[in-house]
Amino acid sequence: MISQFFVLSQRGDNIVFRDYRGEVQRATAEIFFRKVKFWKEDGQEEAPPVFNVDGVNYFHVKVVGLMFVATTRVNLSPSFVFELLQRIARVIKDYLGVLNEDSLRRNFVLVYELLDEVIDFGYVQTTSTEVLKSYVFNEPIVVDAAHLSPLGPAALFMQGTKRIPGTAVTKSVVANDPTGRRREEIFVDIIEKISITFSSSGYILTSEIDGTIQMKSYLTGNPEIRLALNDDLSIGRGGQSVYDYRSSIGSGVVILDDCNFHESVRLDSFEADKTLALVPPDGEFPVMNYRMTQEFKPPFRINALIEEAGILKAEVILKVYAEFPSSITANTISLQMPLPKYTMRASFELEPGAVGQTTDFKEANKRLEWNLKKAIISYHGFYIVGGCEHTLRARLTFSQETHGNITKESGPVSLTFTIPMYNASKLQVKYLQITKKSGSYNPYRWVRYVTLSNSYVARL
Amino acid sequence: MSGHDSKYFSTTKKGEIPELKEELNSQYKDKRKDAVKKVIAAMTVGKDVSSLFTDVVNCMQTENLELKKLVYLYLINYAKSQPDLAILAVNTFVKDSQDPNPLIRALAVRTMGCIRVDKITEYLCDPLQRCLKDDDPYVRKTAAICVAKLYDINAELVEDRGFLESLKDLISDNNPMVVANAVAALAEIQENSNRPIFEITSHTLSKLLTALNECTEWGQVFILDALSRYKAADAREAENIVERVTPRLQHANCAVVLSAVKMILQQMELITSTDVVRNLCKKMAPPLVTLLSAEPEIQYVALRNINLIVQRRPTILAHEIKVFFCKYNDPIYVKMEKLEIMIKLASDRNIDQVLLEFKEYATEVDVDFVRKAVRAIGRCAIKLERAAERCISVLLELIKIKVNYVVQEAIIVIKDIFRRYPNTYESIIATLCESLDTLDEPEAKASMIWIIGEYAERIDNADELLESFLESFPEEPAQVQLQLLTATVKLFLKKPTEGPQQMIQVVLNNATVETDNPDLRDRAYIYWRLLSTDPEAAKDVVLAEKPVISDDSNQLEPTLLDELLANIATLSSVYHKPPEAFITRVKTTTQRTEDEEYAEGSETGYSESHVADGAASPPTSSDNVPYAAARQPGPAATPTQPAPAAPVPDLLGDLIGLDNAIVPVDQPSTPAGPPLPVLLPASTGQGLQISAHLTRRDGQIFYSLLFENNSQIPLDGFMIQFNKNTFGLAAAGPLQVPQLQPGSSATTLLPMVVFQNLSQGPPSSLLQVAVKNNQQPVWYFNDKISLHVFFTEEGRMERASFLETWRSLPDSNEVSRDFPNAVISSVEATLDQLAASNMFFIARRKHANQDVFYFSAKLPKGTPFLIELTTVVGNPGVKSAIKTPNPEMAPLFFESIEALLRV
Repeated sequence: MISQFFVLSQRGDNIVFRDYRGEVQRATAEIFFRKVKFWKEDGQEEAPPVFNVDGVNYFHVKVVGLMFVATTRVNLSPSFVFELLQRIARVIKDYLGVLNEDSLRRNFVLVYELLDEVIDFGYVQTTSTEVLKSYVFNEPIVVDAAHLSPLGPAALFMQGTKRIPGTAVTKSVVANDPTGRRREEIFVDIIEKISITFSSSGYILTSEIDGTIQMKSYLTGNPEIRLALNDDLSIGRGGQSVYDYRSSIGSGVVILDDCNFHESVRLDSFEADKTLALVPPDGEFPVMNYRMTQEFKPPFRINALIEEAGILKAEVILKVYAEFPSSITANTISLQMPLPKYTMRASFELEPGAVGQTTDFKEANKRLEWNLKKAIISYHGFYIVGGCEHTLRARLTFSQETHGNITKESGPVSLTFTIPMYNASKLQVKYLQITKKSGSYNPYRWVRYVTLSNSYVARL
Repeated sequence: MSGHDSKYFSTTKKGEIPELKEELNSQYKDKRKDAVKKVIAAMTVGKDVSSLFTDVVNCMQTENLELKKLVYLYLINYAKSQPDLAILAVNTFVKDSQDPNPLIRALAVRTMGCIRVDKITEYLCDPLQRCLKDDDPYVRKTAAICVAKLYDINAELVEDRGFLESLKDLISDNNPMVVANAVAALAEIQENSNRPIFEITSHTLSKLLTALNECTEWGQVFILDALSRYKAADAREAENIVERVTPRLQHANCAVVLSAVKMILQQMELITSTDVVRNLCKKMAPPLVTLLSAEPEIQYVALRNINLIVQRRPTILAHEIKVFFCKYNDPIYVKMEKLEIMIKLASDRNIDQVLLEFKEYATEVDVDFVRKAVRAIGRCAIKLERAAERCISVLLELIKIKVNYVVQEAIIVIKDIFRRYPNTYESIIATLCESLDTLDEPEAKASMIWIIGEYAERIDNADELLESFLESFPEEPAQVQLQLLTATVKLFLKKPTEGPQQMIQVVLNNATVETDNPDLRDRAYIYWRLLSTDPEAAKDVVLAEKPVISDDSNQLEPTLLDELLANIATLSSVYHKPPEAFITRVKTTTQRTEDEEYAEGSETGYSESHVADGAASPPTSSDNVPYAAARQPGPAATPTQPAPAAPVPDLLGDLIGLDNAIVPVDQPSTPAGPPLPVLLPASTGQGLQISAHLTRRDGQIFYSLLFENNSQIPLDGFMIQFNKNTFGLAAAGPLQVPQLQPGSSATTLLPMVVFQNLSQGPPSSLLQVAVKNNQQPVWYFNDKISLHVFFTEEGRMERASFLETWRSLPDSNEVSRDFPNAVISSVEATLDQLAASNMFFIARRKHANQDVFYFSAKLPKGTPFLIELTTVVGNPGVKSAIKTPNPEMAPLFFESIEALLRV
């Protein structure tokens, strides 16, 4: 069981502090903050997420710039505490709509009420927003969601296309709509994070998709939901090693390495027709997490080259190919490439007619940055569109002679991006069925896909 | 409601407290509620609003749950400082615990349990009894946790009122939430008790396994962790358990997955069928890998656990090495752990892939990570003989990039590779020598110098290379100086020409006359003497073949690994330390310091009534005394200070004129080994017999005690006190002895500190002890202090420094004594025995038909004892001579060694 729970701002201010057992001194928040801020142990400068100071164990996670911390004196399960801290953040976000320092401060009474129901004497009672609703009576004061850094990947849809109502993500599950009416709607988001490492010759060394099917329900009366996935979905590589799974390429079958499910999910008919049945509790939660290493078509290919071009000079050529259909647009694409430490200057040359691209040489950490944010191809569109290709040339000037090894001293190139309405795994929600209460009951259903980069790297 | 809560933080001109007081007594409900919110707001920012206690409590009788909760929150905070006023709330609590609304009933019990005021505790029992049998599961689950709260305040009360039985009944409750809380509460109570309270029988096991399927994710973790203590009777039962736990591996909650893994690993130890085991390994691998897709914090936990699991079952993830490749955006703490596991999983089959990764990491930006990657390559070379050559060529490639810290790190690992594969890869020395002048880190320099010295005969210009270092000899760090000294001697022995001869003069001069580092000086003198008396012998010593080193990537000792594996999914498995190394939870009963008190530093607030009431608690909260701090992770921590003194005028402190704390009794702890000498016979102690002696464990001194109650009455409230003594021995913590029923006994290990309680006068081995309990007069008895319990683990001396010390002490410091009856019959046994008492064997010499043994030992504060034992092995008669700066301790030493030799 945990002894204390607290939330600290980036400056170390105590925003929330709850002591459940009175067995640890109150100064822990200060001790913790100082320790994390000036961490220097085992040759590392970043504190691990759990450590022990004078017999007190501190666990922390960072959520939207806030530090959620728990302390204990006993030999607790750390994954338990980390899950709990994330879950507390999520519950508070469900209630407040927006989680940040301001909303926490304004709603402190509600937050304390929640914390008392979530944890008793250090033992977790429930973290289900649904269950908590029966015990929690304060109402949230909703803060303005604009200009706030949102929580969780679903927040992407706020900046996404116009088809999706932007407010949904920051809506409290309990607060009354200003219009006095609650809209019946349910969101199902398929969020995939891609990790890829390309070798210098463009060959894929490792590739992985971490996916989540996330749900947020605003349906009244808790109807049962059925989610149907691809018919030919299969799970487990059947003991094959990573070295030979590629035999499955091209068959079109989606093979997941592993997956797990939220506790509300019933898998009775999963084997037979790949359908998940559940009564979604209120609040945001992952219905299913999955992991795939089966080969898939990467959305971007990167070609990077660095060559010496005379004394104290070198040239960098970066190419990005968007390998998805032209009906899809990606946004916020950014390439970064560490350059040799003795690089003094970099001059850039974009392709003729390039619009909306920015380049930068970060002097401090010797890094090249190339942003292809919105507005690329004149007035045809304002995003990177599938099928296109972009090139950047950069001339570098060095302050010292190279050792003839500049490829080793630069790179790897990393790419970050988001692609709405696209997923690389081809996992699909084929239909989303809501048990009807009456003929006229027809809530809004949103099934949304998004793909993000996790570690998307090309080596030189 | 309207507006937002931050308005409650605003202050007004009138003076906050009077204004709040007025509002709290308003006739309007809403106004009262707002006022309570303001009070809570003030409380959370640390303002003292305790003076409003009565006014807030007056708002308690309300049907409004929101308001009631706020008042309760206030009460929990301030009841401690206003215990008399808190009584005012009792009636409402008791009434609320019978309210028709289950939420209010639960709230009342929950809050009462949090108010740690004795008088309230009495009133808690009846409502708790009712609530444990309540119709509503929400009330029952709250009551279950409340039993644990009450146990923490007053364990006896819980046992007397039969709450433990009620709690056990709740294990069979039809509501899974209630079951989970009952399990959690019982597990905690068991943890703090040494009687078997919560034993898991095969019957409870099957009940809990059934409940598992219906519990919330958190309840599943409680249950799985409680069940992990269960030992299956046979392989069949183990298989059954595993079968029912395996579906948990598919849970989205990582804590559930890891707790299930722990359970399965434990049961697997009993399963004999290799097919079943192989199958289970196959099932566990994907969920373990999936943990690496969770948040980085959980990845870190998973990686630390996987590190242990693959040491026991290397096959489980043998094919998954790719998932441990570092992502560029992994936090550094994740990357470092991944590297460790990559080394562990590296095999001849995947080494090429692994090397490719390491090579890439070694050119990244983060210096610490790069260094670790370079070391990883070296460790792979040492681990995989067939891949050593490939590893070395990668290291050479990296050296060519000429990044300073990469080069230095590479040289350090190459030195180890040379030691692992002597006479194999020396051809690369030339390449290494090219980087010589860029080395600026001691370890790298020392490694390079070692290489030059070791292979001096193959390096044409070895003398020049070493000479280049000699100029700066006095400025070099000790590590480099030592290596330079040895390397120059090696060079001289291998190439006894003029150049090296001059060099050796310079070095020896520098290392003897010019230095004040004793290690360096000792080593130099030994070389000097060796070289001047017998150069051939010098060759045998200095150029002797070195033992081949081995791979250290499976570095955990098997016993430690066993213990850590039994603690998978806990902090212990993340720190890679056994729980007792960092858990300092000493049970405190009524004396818990409230936060506010601590913040104000009101240490004197420990009221005398607590000490005197005999139910007894330590004079200080164990939560924050330095003693607790001293037991933080790390080997052999010694307590730094005793508990602060509490003014206790009526206790035996006065009787024997002592001035430090009386240490009261709390609870028993682990028993000691062999029978203890009886110090207070039952005939003297009115039936109470006490046996005790001092002992040293893990670098700390303990007083091991056995209490036997042969009287007709139960004895409790034990306290102990030590009179001033030569070593200033005093108790470091409370004496932990439970109530002793007639005919029962208890043992305990009392941690001791030294230099606290020093007596004047000549050294004496006398230790006067006083023990008190609530039923009998104070008992006094004498013990003998054995000097060897003070000998520290740091007492081992190098031969050279032993000789040096021996020589530096005047002959008048040598004292000897004969023990005509002592016999050393087995040299090995005696050496072991003395080593166990931190007397370290230095050398053995034959003198006529006698054997002479030399040992070193050190007292705390570093006083050395040089010991010489002369005897004819197997015959009676041992002569012991010692030399020490402190010869007045000699009689004590002889007492002690005589006792040791007699055993």
